[in-house]
Amino acid sequence: MLVTLARASLAGRRARTALAVVGVAVSAALLLDMVMLASGMRASFRELLDVRGFTIRLAPRGTLPFDTDARIDSAGAIMARLGANPDIVAVSPVLGGQLHVLGPGGGVTAVAIGINPAVQGDYTLRTGHDIAGPDQAVVSADLLAAAHARVGDTLDVAGGYDAQLRAVTRERRIVIAGTAHFIYTPANPKAMAMPLATLRAMTGAAGDPVSLFMLRLRAGADADSVQRWIERAIPRVSAVSTASALRQVDRRLSYFRQLAFILGSVSLTVGVLLVATLVTVSVNERLGEIAVMRAIGVSTRSIVAQVMLEGVAIMLAGATLGLGLGLVTAHYLNGILSQFPGLPAAIDFFLFQPRDAWVSLGLLALAGVLAGVYPAWRGASLPIAATLRDEAVA
Amino acid sequence: MGDRLVIRATPTGPADTVIVGAVVRASADPSEVARDEYRVLVHLDQLQSLIGYGDRVDRFAVATRDRAATGRAMAAINDAAFGFQAHRSRDIAVETSQTFLVVSRFHHAIGVITIVASAVFLLCIMLLKVDERRRDVAALRLMGISAATVLRSVVLEAAMVAVAGSALGVGLGAAISAAVNAHYRGVYRTPLAFSIVTPEVVGFSVALSLVLGVAAGFLAARRLTRVPPLALFGR
Repeated sequence: MLVTLARASLAGRRARTALAVVGVAVSAALLLDMVMLASGMRASFRELLDVRGFTIRLAPRGTLPFDTDARIDSAGAIMARLGANPDIVAVSPVLGGQLHVLGPGGGVTAVAIGINPAVQGDYTLRTGHDIAGPDQAVVSADLLAAAHARVGDTLDVAGGYDAQLRAVTRERRIVIAGTAHFIYTPANPKAMAMPLATLRAMTGAAGDPVSLFMLRLRAGADADSVQRWIERAIPRVSAVSTASALRQVDRRLSYFRQLAFILGSVSLTVGVLLVATLVTVSVNERLGEIAVMRAIGVSTRSIVAQVMLEGVAIMLAGATLGLGLGLVTAHYLNGILSQFPGLPAAIDFFLFQPRDAWVSLGLLALAGVLAGVYPAWRGASLPIAATLRDEAVA
Repeated sequence: MGDRLVIRATPTGPADTVIVGAVVRASADPSEVARDEYRVLVHLDQLQSLIGYGDRVDRFAVATRDRAATGRAMAAINDAAFGFQAHRSRDIAVETSQTFLVVSRFHHAIGVITIVASAVFLLCIMLLKVDERRRDVAALRLMGISAATVLRSVVLEAAMVAVAGSALGVGLGAAISAAVNAHYRGVYRTPLAFSIVTPEVVGFSVALSLVLGVAAGFLAARRLTRVPPLALFGR
């Protein structure tokens, strides 16, 4: 009977109910987006860091990997020191730089990374084969297209440019061994990977510098204790574990989490106000009806349940519509934020996880219950005789 | 302040001793926001010698008399220069503000969603408000007051509610804007303004809320005035 009465009440004012459902749907969409924003970028960043199993990164002291142009000197000595720790099973040195692929149209400037192909964690090979010699490189599909080249072709690549002479320097011929997906680069990168020693020679780096090290630990090793050991043993570097990188990201992107919290709260409040107003007006219009029901013996609990059911029904109908709408708007908003300069293409600010949908649905159901509290209390506590008399006079 | 520091370009490179002469305030540069870099300002020749830069510099900042002089100076430099290029400061600022432009586009998109949500909310509230006065409207109509007059009075009432709400909203917006600036200037340690309430923003918000309020009031009133007065009484 409860459901029948609640449905009859909502169906009696179709336009009003439809408008309320639409209002709740927009609020629910915004709420889902904000729940996704609050947790999505963190989950997405963690996924990106852990994708190749490297759990610790070493950067020059006081910096984050590739955050500055600073480099770590004496990489060979550091690798030997790291090799002494039994918890560290692989060390991948990475050097970042910029190279110029020469061509008839002025050439292409490419992001270059120097790696050890045996332990690299920066790219996934797509076509061709991996780097097998000092004059070989794997390139991104975008660089291949921009250079009008194919796998197996040889490129003329320069490591520097003398502005005074307007001439390239440290030129070298590099064979394209294959194409690869570069994991940490922004979308559509013009990138190439080559042996570390080749890049050092081409960029004219003195000594054996690297931009960062990526470390893989043995299964069961405690990343925090390895991190502490590294910072004690090698004071020139900062060791960044996945957890500490996430903390840094949390701090840098705290703005988005705060925005998500504020807008999520506002959308929930708007939803509660909308439904509470609607159900209150609906109860006010049915005071006589409610008084009659109570006069013929319908319990106060049933009245309360019916009114609250109306609120929850509007909330859930709006939420169902809103969750679909939220996914569409999240895709659109993610497209905007993915244009952040230098942001790895694999990072999603709005990452859908089923948990987000359940959290949003739970919050909206709770909001529906809360929205029904006042009108339900009003309906349940009205004086029966006085209300019936007032209604008869009216 | 006054302490001596030893600075080097690389951990094993040549060192120089400097005295901390002053602590400078961060500049209002969007590209520096959220970057926790330590900065040391030293004399040009001292840095050139420390990092082995010879007589080289990374860039020159050139002050000009006015906008026309800037154009002439740029043309002259670019025609005569060998190995470097002149850029307008404004163009460089646009390039370094890309992050903020993305955030700005994101805010616009969120703003549109919020406007849609508030429009539906306003429409719903006005509909309820007018609907609640069915009996008043019926009584007015039975007394001989025309449907057009009733409609105009309801629309006027909606406009007044929208104006009052807008005034409250502008005050609330200004207060929130001040709080946002105070908070994020502290978080990012920058004098940048994160939120600015301009006359254009106020004008747009008030106009939008007026249009939405009046439209909502009109729709709700028209719906009510089309129903015969006795039907509004439930007979």
